[in-house]
Amino acid sequence: MSASVKRFVFSILGLGLGGLFVYAGVQKHLAPYEFAEAILAYQLLPFGLVGLVAATLPWLEMVSGFSLTLGYLLRGRQFSNPIPMGSLLRRSALMLILAQSLLFVTVLLITMARGLKIDCGCGLFMDRQVGLGAILEDALLLGVLGWLYWRECRAGGREL
Amino acid sequence: MAMTRVTWRRELAWAGGLLGLAVILGFMFHWPLVQASLRGNLATLLDQKRQERRELQFQGVRTLDLAQAYQTWQEKRALFVDARKAEEYQELHIQGAMNVPPETWGELASSEMKMDRMRELVVYCSQESCDDALKLAKKLREAGFSRVLAFTGGFRAWDEAGYPADTSR
Repeated sequence: MSASVKRFVFSILGLGLGGLFVYAGVQKHLAPYEFAEAILAYQLLPFGLVGLVAATLPWLEMVSGFSLTLGYLLRGRQFSNPIPMGSLLRRSALMLILAQSLLFVTVLLITMARGLKIDCGCGLFMDRQVGLGAILEDALLLGVLGWLYWRECRAGGREL
Repeated sequence: MAMTRVTWRRELAWAGGLLGLAVILGFMFHWPLVQASLRGNLATLLDQKRQERRELQFQGVRTLDLAQAYQTWQEKRALFVDARKAEEYQELHIQGAMNVPPETWGELASSEMKMDRMRELVVYCSQESCDDALKLAKKLREAGFSRVLAFTGGFRAWDEAGYPADTSR
């Protein structure tokens, strides 16, 4: 695969994942009380923390998704600032999105092991129950994110 | 101009900044939720918001509480309709209930649901927080069933009260 094709593929993947997180965050932000109920159904957090997570997690998804998208849009742009802004945004956003995805997979695994049959509250395109499908989907997402992050770290600020 | 490398420290600082921004925005936009959580009123707030949303979304759908649902069941006045997925229904359901899982809701006017449309139906789903009973009750009304009620406590409330449940189809 030539360098320009690779670059195109990575940009599409990054933009797609950024957009996906923004979309998932917006869905939850627009229905905060339903999202709080979805978190409660997992029976993992005390009441005192459920509201804090329901309020902030959608914004974390939106902020990190938007930063990742912006990082790919700024790719190759030169600024008077010597810090490569595009790379910095991509790496920090990918780090946050990776942490969120790891958290989601862990929560799904714990919930599945406990045998709870609840909606995953993922905020994507359809209602899904916690199960192997949702876990595999998140594991795939984690793999792609890890690949993009590794590539960014290897570049160390250079635009590959 | 020579490019500065992106270091771990710089990356972590930016990630921390983004996290902080998300927390500030979340608190700003959803302060009532945060406040209720901190004061220990979250359950009350969620009940109230759920009620408000349902009144708008499911206007005209009549509901039953646990005592009314049990009385209706004892008097055999209505057919109980389980709106949960087939595997949940097979595991345990209200005795005598029929299953109408979500994937069949598009065919309510046809085959399986060809029954007396004047018959009283009591629809339930898994628990108080699920909307499926109300969704199905609304769809059944639209499909021509005139006496449809939603038992909002759901199977969990029924089961916790120790009322009859079984695994037969």
